[in-house]
Amino acid sequence: MARDSGPFSEGPLLQLLPLDAKDRGTQRCRLGPAALRALGAHLGSAVKIFLPDGGSCLCTAWPRQDGADGFVQLDLQCATPGAALEVPGPRGSLSLSRLSLVPCPPLRRLTVWAVLREQADAPWDLSPTGVLEAAQELLRNRPVSRGHVVAAPPDAPGPLATLHIVGGTPSPDSAGLVTPRTRIVLSGTPPLEAEPQSEVPLGGLSEAAASLRELLCLPLRYPRALAALGLAVPRGVLLAGPPGVGKTQLVRAVAQEAGAELLAVSAPALQGARPGETEENVRRIFQRAQELASRRPSLLFLDEVDALCPRRGGPHRAPESRVVAQVLTLLDVINGDREVVVVGATNRPDALDPALRRPGRFDREVVIGSPTLKQREAILQVITSKMPVSSLVDLGRLAEMSVGYVGADLTALCREAALHAMLRSDKNQDNSMIDETDFLEAFKKIQPSSFRSVIGLMDIKPIGWEQIGGLDDVKLKLKQSVEWPLKFPREFVRMGLTQPKGVLLYGPPGCAKTTLVRALATSCHCSFVSVSGADLFSPFVGDSEKILSQVFRQARANTPAIVFLDEIDSILGSRSVSKTGCNVQERVLSVLLNELDGVGLKTIERRGSKLIQQGKYKELKKNEEVEFQEVFNQNVMIIAATNRPDALDDALLRPGRLDKIIYIPPPDQKGRLSILEVCTKNMPVGPDVSLENLAAETCFFSGADLRNLCTEAALLALQENGLEATTVKQEHFLRSLKTVKPSLSHKDLTLYENLFQKQGFSY
Amino acid sequence: MTQDQPLLAVQEALRKCFPVVEEQQGLWQSTLSDCQPLLVSLSNLAEQLQAAQNVRFEDVPALRAFPDLKERLRRKQLAAGDTVLDKLEERLATLLKVRDTVSSHVEQVFHVYEQHADTVGIDAVLQPSVRSPSVANMLEWLQNIERHYRNSYPLYLKRKYLFSSIQWGDLANIQALPKAWDQIPEDEHQDFVQDTLLNVSFFLEE
Repeated sequence: MARDSGPFSEGPLLQLLPLDAKDRGTQRCRLGPAALRALGAHLGSAVKIFLPDGGSCLCTAWPRQDGADGFVQLDLQCATPGAALEVPGPRGSLSLSRLSLVPCPPLRRLTVWAVLREQADAPWDLSPTGVLEAAQELLRNRPVSRGHVVAAPPDAPGPLATLHIVGGTPSPDSAGLVTPRTRIVLSGTPPLEAEPQSEVPLGGLSEAAASLRELLCLPLRYPRALAALGLAVPRGVLLAGPPGVGKTQLVRAVAQEAGAELLAVSAPALQGARPGETEENVRRIFQRAQELASRRPSLLFLDEVDALCPRRGGPHRAPESRVVAQVLTLLDVINGDREVVVVGATNRPDALDPALRRPGRFDREVVIGSPTLKQREAILQVITSKMPVSSLVDLGRLAEMSVGYVGADLTALCREAALHAMLRSDKNQDNSMIDETDFLEAFKKIQPSSFRSVIGLMDIKPIGWEQIGGLDDVKLKLKQSVEWPLKFPREFVRMGLTQPKGVLLYGPPGCAKTTLVRALATSCHCSFVSVSGADLFSPFVGDSEKILSQVFRQARANTPAIVFLDEIDSILGSRSVSKTGCNVQERVLSVLLNELDGVGLKTIERRGSKLIQQGKYKELKKNEEVEFQEVFNQNVMIIAATNRPDALDDALLRPGRLDKIIYIPPPDQKGRLSILEVCTKNMPVGPDVSLENLAAETCFFSGADLRNLCTEAALLALQENGLEATTVKQEHFLRSLKTVKPSLSHKDLTLYENLFQKQGFSY
Repeated sequence: MTQDQPLLAVQEALRKCFPVVEEQQGLWQSTLSDCQPLLVSLSNLAEQLQAAQNVRFEDVPALRAFPDLKERLRRKQLAAGDTVLDKLEERLATLLKVRDTVSSHVEQVFHVYEQHADTVGIDAVLQPSVRSPSVANMLEWLQNIERHYRNSYPLYLKRKYLFSSIQWGDLANIQALPKAWDQIPEDEHQDFVQDTLLNVSFFLEE
């Protein structure tokens, strides 16, 4: 067993062995005789040991019973807080140079901060004298050092859990011996934490953090003033918001900042299998919170509180009701003594029992929405502050691109970008800077989590404006009404313009209505949701309406957003046309009208700071452009497309709902030419082909017809010349022109144009 | 022989200390065993009190002649109970005293060792002889013994708590005292001191 390591030169390694059972709690450090000799230690002299994990401990040196060298056993009864030996496996070792002999003068006086055991029903004496007596017993004849913590053996009875050594005379900076003549004083204030606490960064949650901090710190800072006013400080907060916005992080950060004890419980973890077990767990948690509160301000955090307190009532929910009642009574009790702040977090506040949401229980409700542009920028700043990000990366632009991303998504995004940068530069590992391309790559991989469950989310094949031939004035109008408000909010405010709510595109089929919308979605980087009848209609009564309103709720959470309703006439009925009773389509219509022009938003959908909510435009005018953008980004824009505008309800077409109505005409000759140019761009066209002539001959052809014409011509060329065909000649076009018939007719067009005339649409 | 002088001084101190420990250990054991009969008598007294309460003196013709017999009897019994309690308190105080005596003696030995530690050196301390264990071992044992007495302090607290909970109004509680006393666990290292003393017996006879 003994490994003879020969004469000790410089810092030989000592193998760490687990402590013998009988040495537990003796503060001894067992060393071999050679090590004792090398240290120059006597029996029982104080030795300071720097542990591998960065802490240190103070022990008394004693020889090993078997006299073997090369081993060390430590009792960590007096050590820096948090110090622990790694499980001393076969490899655990300690260099002898980490051990040093320290002088240990007897102390005349010692100040300690006592941490009591957290048991309310303990039989021992909790008065100061009792604690002092126990502290004297625990410390007797021990060497101690400032900043160390003396732990009472866990199984021994007594009120003390640990003692923090705060100070003494002579100052026990390195070590000092407690003798029976040492006067021990209990310190009134807890020791300052030696190591700086790792700050939990918070980005963009300043308002929510402030209100939470206020609750926590008010009774600490102004106890007398509050008592004089006879005020009961609110002690309950409900945090509501979608998953991943940082509710848990916020609570942790605030608790750490205020120096409060945080007791974080996930509500599902409290559920028990037996009847009554859940209630028991809840009681125990609240009791523990109160025990913690007797020493310092404490914060009880119930995560996912909706699992614990669902709405009561209903036939089979008696057990749940009991749990809810238990939580309610406990909240009332806690409120009485004003010591514990209870914070609940949920993403389904509506599922909570209403009795929980009154002052006295959860006094305040803080809604944390998905972050706005400015908040996203703040979050990105916090996340990237510790990353080697290249100076070329524009966080503002990243924030603009990351619509709908919550804090968790942004973290994932940055991690992915860093990973990409690492993989890219694995040849020169020294300078791996994260630059813009890494972030762009990461954007491809990380989808916003709130989008994963969105109905009708589309992967759009990007398409540019120039890929649509003709229709220049329509494109301009679309850009004016959709793109400009997003891109130039400042100008819009200056001119006193409000953003249009919705745009209706109508026109004969095949005239690029859908393609225009695709180009629009490509050009303005915003969330794009497309809803069709297939998404909406379901066999259950009320389901369609619910889905539609959910679409809008999700779109509002991810503003700026465009909701695209293709073939809107099939989704919505018209109350003015069909006079039959209340069918599904009419109910969907009424939901849509409400969503477009409702009274306001639901409280749980609140986002950003309250100032903006209250619409203080005058103050805002002084602020940055980003703020303008935030104001404008509150809204969701709707784009509807139809080829039967006459079948739409009148209420839908009034300004304030679909206020821009844009007619998309069939292409004229010039338009047809440009469409043909676009269609034949990738086609080997013979030199004799005259697109101008074709354009002139294809009257009443829609864009789709023209594309079809080109395909036919190319197929014809293949058919004629075999698979070796290289060019499409004019004759192919002319021959296919004979077979392909225009889909539009003069009658149809006059119908559209008459509608346009009669109703006096502005465009 | 002059180099051995300091070592001899330490050994001398040890030789003086161990008998004291032996004596104190005897005192400790006897004190603890004394408590049991006292507690039994206390519980007997409680039983008597209970019985006296249940008797209706006016119904017994022979006792009618003594009008305030009930009160006198009760006073006497209570006085007897208080005497027993006083004795118990004394015993507890003795336990504390044993602890302090042992502590002070052990401290003296360590003091002697520290005075000579530099001259003795570590090797001499670690060297056992045929008849005696090494000085290091003996010092360690002494420290263990001292710690042993001190570790029983929480037990002492429990006993003290037991006595302080005695109230004459609650006779049933007092009757249950011997049982409660037994339930306080004797510390597991009962024979620890005895074993140590056996280890050093040859050394002491030297």
